[in-house]
Amino acid sequence: MAAANQDTTRPQNTRAIMVFLQSHAPFSNMDDDHLAHFAEHATLRFYADGDVVLSAEDGVVNRFYVVKQGRIRGERHNEKVDKTETTFEISQGECFPLAAIIGERPTRTIHRAAGDTFCLSIEQDAFITLISESESFRDFCLRGVSSLLDQVNQRIQTGAMASMGSSISLSTPLERYALRNPIVCNPDLPVRKAVARMHENSVGSIVITDDGRHPIGIFTLRDLRTMIAEETCSLDEPVGQIMTKNPCCLPVHADAFDAAMLMAEHHFAHLCVVDEHKRLIGMVSERDLFSLQRVDLVNLARTIGTATHLRTLVSLRTDVSRLVDAMLAHGADSGQVVKIITTLNDVTVRRVLELNIKKNDPGIAFTWLTFGSEGRQEQTLLTDQDNGILFQTPEGMTEDQVREKLLPFARAVNDELAQCGFTLCKGNIMASNPKLCLSDHEWDDWFIRFIDASTPQNLVYSSIFLDMRAVYGPTDSLNELLDKVLARIQKNALFQKMLAGNALQRKPPLTMFRNFRYVTDGKKNSLDLKRQGLAPFVEAVRVFALANGVKNANTLERMDELVGKGIFDDKDANAWKDAYSLIQAIRMRSHQEMLERGEELTNFIDPNDLNPLDRRILRESFRQAQRLQQKLELAYQL
Amino acid sequence: MLQQIKQWIARRRTGISGNIAPENTPKPKTPGDQLLSQCRLIVLDLETTGLHPGKDEVIAIGAVAISGGAIDLSDQFDLVLRRPELDITQTVLIHGIGPEALTQGHETEDALLFLLEWMNGDPVLAYHSAFDQKFLEKTLKAELGYTQNHTWMDVADVLPAFFPDAKTGGKGLDHWADYFGLEVSARHHAASDALATAELTLIALNKAHKEGLKTLRELQDKLRYHRRLRNIHHS
Repeated sequence: MAAANQDTTRPQNTRAIMVFLQSHAPFSNMDDDHLAHFAEHATLRFYADGDVVLSAEDGVVNRFYVVKQGRIRGERHNEKVDKTETTFEISQGECFPLAAIIGERPTRTIHRAAGDTFCLSIEQDAFITLISESESFRDFCLRGVSSLLDQVNQRIQTGAMASMGSSISLSTPLERYALRNPIVCNPDLPVRKAVARMHENSVGSIVITDDGRHPIGIFTLRDLRTMIAEETCSLDEPVGQIMTKNPCCLPVHADAFDAAMLMAEHHFAHLCVVDEHKRLIGMVSERDLFSLQRVDLVNLARTIGTATHLRTLVSLRTDVSRLVDAMLAHGADSGQVVKIITTLNDVTVRRVLELNIKKNDPGIAFTWLTFGSEGRQEQTLLTDQDNGILFQTPEGMTEDQVREKLLPFARAVNDELAQCGFTLCKGNIMASNPKLCLSDHEWDDWFIRFIDASTPQNLVYSSIFLDMRAVYGPTDSLNELLDKVLARIQKNALFQKMLAGNALQRKPPLTMFRNFRYVTDGKKNSLDLKRQGLAPFVEAVRVFALANGVKNANTLERMDELVGKGIFDDKDANAWKDAYSLIQAIRMRSHQEMLERGEELTNFIDPNDLNPLDRRILRESFRQAQRLQQKLELAYQL
Repeated sequence: MLQQIKQWIARRRTGISGNIAPENTPKPKTPGDQLLSQCRLIVLDLETTGLHPGKDEVIAIGAVAISGGAIDLSDQFDLVLRRPELDITQTVLIHGIGPEALTQGHETEDALLFLLEWMNGDPVLAYHSAFDQKFLEKTLKAELGYTQNHTWMDVADVLPAFFPDAKTGGKGLDHWADYFGLEVSARHHAASDALATAELTLIALNKAHKEGLKTLRELQDKLRYHRRLRNIHHS
């Protein structure tokens, strides 16, 4: 009765618009009342072929449009070629402009009618009412959050770029750099002649190639210096004798970030750029990458990696923080920055280990393990030590005898790492703990117990021990261990279910009404970005990853692999990756601000300190965490 | 709509004025310098029991308003009048309004007063407006004794004035709707036809804007000129 009544009390034209909307997503999933709200608040406009419907000149977007008839073409002006490009076409029943209206900013795209076109549109107020009242409409709009986040990132980057006067970012493919035409020679050329050729061309390096132009070695002025100082080789010998063999190569489609990471990891200043047949097509140097940006990542990594004293390492930590600051300003996304921090932390850990081995070699080969956020390569400036040791017991020794040698060494390393700013782990998850300095067999037994007897305490530890990586030493035994652990988890549905249950313990901090839910203890109006914001993503993704045999520990890369395995829809995964990265970015920015104010770093923020756009996006990011948790609930029937 | 009218009636009956007199309704506006891009226009369509104003009656009134160059769907009029005494079997097929729907209608007087108030004296457009004008004027006079002259414009004249070369294959609303590819949700439903007519009006106003026509008066002059031209052509 009620429904019939409603139907006759609604004007014919309102009903007609509702019927029209019902045949298109997302309206097809919406309740009649919400459709009626749209229809009753809509205006209908006509645009002749070629008319501009919406453009940047209209200012902040305050209407949400649906094409009733005809088509809308999106146009952007490409300044480089001074040409207008069509970026999209929107046809009947489709909506625009999602990102701009949610972001409360002008559109950057000219929306132009393609053919005679009618559009229905509602004002922002009605749009907000629908977003807050209709779940399916909200979900539809938030799928667009990924493009929205793109826009925000772009805005941050353009801000930084504008001051640098350059549009080159770390995501720029190498082919866009003016690649140097490398000076090359064959390996038979005497060193003297090779150096002369470098001198003629005023370059610091020469690439040695075979007949097929494949790079086989590199020789630099630095090598020349070492050669003369240490008298390792005469100037008349062929350069092939003294060159650094197998130079680092990157394909031309790799981006500046890849190049920077490779240089930082191996302390190279030059990389060869090769085509798909591995033929040399250019060189890229550290200076090429960063001349405009003064981001001295590579140099910093090299300085850390070659430091001879602990106090040098300690003093370099402030440089790491300064670098992160510069990176954020230069448009590195949070995923890149955490990887950079992790890389620099790895270099530091390795150097501390090397210095200690030099000082006091325990005489036993070992693999230095790292767990938790370091294991996931997701470290920020606020970081605990979570490490352990994996060793293979040498013939004729017992495991306890090995430990007797390794534990004092580990103790010293843990202490020195603490001096470098890696806080000692309160839970004693450190290599100097006898329970975490284990042989391969002991680790295997340890994980069997961990998985089979899934006690609540074990589940708490899952976020640490199930995200594991080797930082130093041989990796084979760790890989074997990981394979066994993964196979065991994949077979153990109960453990998976308990992990899933545990992952759902931490709810994103949103109330039913989509306001922020503040932590009950601690400071008023504060959100814990790590535990409430990031953890729901990290933990839910871990369950899916382990259950599906994904070995990688990095949350973003786990999601990529889960898309590859068909477990995650790629649109969902993109939205989740963006949401996760955004929370991480806000967390890192707040860390930088705390450092600037000389405060102790925490993961708490007051959302009221954020600008309205960030606040809104943070809220939407938490919504994505809720969606991911819903998927987990569904998968494990929780 | 019902809710809206009930509220309006309640307001009127208990309100300060207390008196719902036709002479208190908004005065009709004459076409002057009002900007087409800003002014409000009424687009109206009537359903009647037949084609003869002398003996046939209005069954339903559907209207939408164009404001600022857009059809504002929160500003519309869609009403079935109360005509229980009429024998409507003749037209029931074409309109789809059965006797039950008619008895659900409103007191004619209230409905017409509400219409006048809603129209706010703004110019009225209709397709073959002479028909609607005659029926509405007759009904207003009979029910309310209302005789003020509103400005009427015929969309059937407006369209050929701006699209003289359009090969529509006929002069009806359907011809033009088909020509522009409009989808009419429920043909011969007053509100639906009014919306289709308003959509055609938007198309014409878009063209008018491009031809540099700015005011209501300029539009009326153009229509007058076009009508004269056509008369010469035909005679």
